[in-house]
Amino acid sequence: MHLFEARGVTKRFGGLTALHAVDFAVDRGISSIIGPNGAGKTTLFNIFTGLYSADEGTVTFRDRSILGRRPDQITALGICRTFQNIRLFANMTAIENVLVGMNSRIALGLWDVLSHSPGFRRTETAVAARALALLERVGLQANANDVARNLPYGDRRRLELARALASEPALLLLDEPTAGMTQGEAGALMRLLRGLVADLGLAIILIEHNMRVVMEVSDWVTVLDHGERIAEGAPREVQENPRVIEAYLGTRSPGRRRA
Amino acid sequence: MIQSLLAVALTGVSAFAVAVYPRSVLVFLLFQGSILFAYRARIPDWLRWSLLAAALLVLMPAIGYYNGYYLEVATQVGIFVALALGLNIVVGLAGLLDLGYVAFFAVGAYSWAIVGSPHANVIFGGESFPLAGGWFYLFLLVGLGVAALTGVLLGLPVLRLHGDYLAVVTLGFGEVIRVLANNLDKPINFTNGPKGITPISRPPTPLGLPYGEYFYFLALLIVIVVVLVNRRLENSHIGRAWEAIREDELAARAMGVPLVRMKLMAFACGASFAGIMGVLFSAKQIFINPESFTFLESIGVLAMVILGGMGSIPGAILGATVVTVLNLQVLKGFSLWLNELKNAGVTVLGYSLADLPTQFEPAKYERMVFGIILVLMMIYRPQGIFPARRRQREMTQ
Amino acid sequence: MDVALLIGIFPQVLLDGIILGFMYALIALGYTMVYGVLEFINFAHSEIFIVGAFVGVEVMLGLKSAGLLDGLPWPVVLVLVLVAGMAGSGLLAVTVERVAYRPLRNAPRLIPLISAIGISFFLQDMIRLFESLWRNAFNLVYPTLDALNLRFELTETLDVSVKSLVVIGGALGMLWALHMIVNRTKVGTAIRAVAEDQAAASLMGIDVNRIISLTFLIGGAMGGAAGVLFGVQYGLINPYSGFIPGLKAFTAAVLGGIGNIPGAMVGGLVLGLLEAFAASYLSLLTGGAFGAEYKDILAFSILILILIFRPKGLLGEVVRERA
Repeated sequence: MHLFEARGVTKRFGGLTALHAVDFAVDRGISSIIGPNGAGKTTLFNIFTGLYSADEGTVTFRDRSILGRRPDQITALGICRTFQNIRLFANMTAIENVLVGMNSRIALGLWDVLSHSPGFRRTETAVAARALALLERVGLQANANDVARNLPYGDRRRLELARALASEPALLLLDEPTAGMTQGEAGALMRLLRGLVADLGLAIILIEHNMRVVMEVSDWVTVLDHGERIAEGAPREVQENPRVIEAYLGTRSPGRRRA
Repeated sequence: MIQSLLAVALTGVSAFAVAVYPRSVLVFLLFQGSILFAYRARIPDWLRWSLLAAALLVLMPAIGYYNGYYLEVATQVGIFVALALGLNIVVGLAGLLDLGYVAFFAVGAYSWAIVGSPHANVIFGGESFPLAGGWFYLFLLVGLGVAALTGVLLGLPVLRLHGDYLAVVTLGFGEVIRVLANNLDKPINFTNGPKGITPISRPPTPLGLPYGEYFYFLALLIVIVVVLVNRRLENSHIGRAWEAIREDELAARAMGVPLVRMKLMAFACGASFAGIMGVLFSAKQIFINPESFTFLESIGVLAMVILGGMGSIPGAILGATVVTVLNLQVLKGFSLWLNELKNAGVTVLGYSLADLPTQFEPAKYERMVFGIILVLMMIYRPQGIFPARRRQREMTQ
Repeated sequence: MDVALLIGIFPQVLLDGIILGFMYALIALGYTMVYGVLEFINFAHSEIFIVGAFVGVEVMLGLKSAGLLDGLPWPVVLVLVLVAGMAGSGLLAVTVERVAYRPLRNAPRLIPLISAIGISFFLQDMIRLFESLWRNAFNLVYPTLDALNLRFELTETLDVSVKSLVVIGGALGMLWALHMIVNRTKVGTAIRAVAEDQAAASLMGIDVNRIISLTFLIGGAMGGAAGVLFGVQYGLINPYSGFIPGLKAFTAAVLGGIGNIPGAMVGGLVLGLLEAFAASYLSLLTGGAFGAEYKDILAFSILILILIFRPKGLLGEVVRERA
């Protein structure tokens, strides 16, 4: 059994089939999903995190089905994500953003909060310390009290990563984490991800357009085109696959895609 | 040091001045200003809290002894502070614009009014009502619970709505509650319709306190509890989850915030403050009818929250105080003053004030006050007078 | 239950419902046009509507004191009053947009809504202030024109007054004019373009600010016409009597599909009929247990149910929601 497995996932929007019988599995390490614009990559993420429902297929995580569960329940099971167009809580501070990510790990009720029970005090101290540690891990310890919307672009991307890590996921979904970064910044981020995989035993799924990053960092690559999986394998194999080359050269368009 | 002296002097002098000029609105405003100054000044905390305690616990009741009307104003301010703090949770923290908030106040008020008056005999038959005044304390909690439940019932159907649609639906809900209160005198007479319910029992007061002082202290006590509850909620994972929903609902869900539970909790918590104050209000007034629970009141509370600063506890307190004082004292004071001038036959630039139309009553322009506050704040200072400050966490040093 | 009575009053109720429905439709146009272009609920539209009624009554009272009210032929009087009411409301709507909404166009969505609520309250008391100082009264009565009160007996149980015919005719005329403006003129095309995509429209050389002002002008004028007809039909107006019809008209706009002009008309008629029937029949059918007052609850319940279960309304314009 795989840690995470999707089988025959199909999603239609009106008459358009965005995903057609996609199979996908992850155990450990970094897997990348690549494909031309509109291939259905973000749609797949939205299904994996419960924001969309699938029309057909199964998705299991640690042998439990996640289809039909709410996003917060899926996060509690151990899957968390970032967004292609960065969705931080703009008017909250960096550390507060991370603390929100811990929500599903805080098992306190209204009464604990109102009475400041010993459990509440202990938890608040512990989560604050952990949030700081996470900020430190992504290099934002100095910005803990900065309001998120005032952070520079690259910092916001890293804050979003810290926020996702805060939910203690076993599987992390990153939607174009290096978009807008220089090659140097992207490299640093990938080293960070590698470190996370090594230290925490995380599995990561990347959606990425930066081919250099994909080829360097991925253990496994899956290629989508028009909602279908057209190839998968080790980076090298995929790179040489004629169908992949055709899909890219045939349909690549210059504009930015929509989520 | 200078500020410390100034704060002490200001509080003392203004309190003394109120004692000397018990009828002057301006002097009373000065006293209120001194409280605000003590709160904001750079003075040691022990001095700040002693001054505030002295002003609110000793000086204010003493002033009330000379002029009961001021105590009434202070009690009203307390009621509206609690309402503003409740709405602040829903609008300021969770970002859910509720335009029917006064409905929860009504629910609380009617829950005591019905059983605390002979009216309940009409509904249930028999002669066992009104309940003895002592039940009032239990009904503070019942009113809180019933209002919270109403909050959940309202929340359930509107969970999927955002922004302006939510606003309009809550407005409709508030109107429905008001129309029901107006018309549920048949087929079964629950509310006695527009005639309202009276007389509503009051609890026996401890130590033989007069009712003016009693309701003032009770309102103050509830406000203190409400502030404490509000602060604890705000500085917890619950408060953070509300703010996350306000900032980005979809991202909040993806980060593990249980949307339904948190939204319902926001509605319930906000409503409960209004519910408990509703119970106090009905006992204080002895008489209630649907006129006290109109859309105007909802917007008034909204104006308080907006003026002070959405999401800010000191803001809600300041906003509630300023707006209540404007309505109860400044507008009315202006009306009285104008009447005095009229009666004295004063002329301004050759125009005799006595010729002013009789329908021109400055006291009646609450809506204009609310309207001007809302528009000006939105255009020039949407974050309010005391913006919600990002809280510094002790752990981060 | 008196079945004969129930059937007997049916035509009269139907007629009342249609008149009310056209009134709602005219007001709803203001909400729907502004929403179509800015995705914004112009909360102050209920006051823009009632200002039309006040401008109308002032003109009529002015004519009366000049002795012209009975001197001029009644259609001339009506047209004068209607034009004045439309101009007053239209210009007011443009001013309100310029002062209270335009500076907030890029603010988070709730900000302009709150500003609009503020304007709504402000205008209510401004009307009151003005009329208190000017006439020492703010509950005003429309002067009666004898010709308008003529009634034709159609059947034994149904009669129709000239006034009702004027209201229906006026409303139909307005709706037709609006239809022509929006669908047959260059300005109408520009409005539809701005509603579709502001950025693209401005790239095509359309002055977006001008078109938005124009939208408020047209929507406000429709509201003003509704205000005059409201005054003519029901007689008594006060500064606060715009609020509930405004809310109902907004309900009508949502019911028909907000942003959708034919939808506003359909929604208005449906709501007007439902309300008229509820007002007349509810009390009869429940033996007096539930009176006509519950028609308000009916309207708000419709609003709540539609927004929750079919936010695109009857005619299916998709509501674009921004969080």
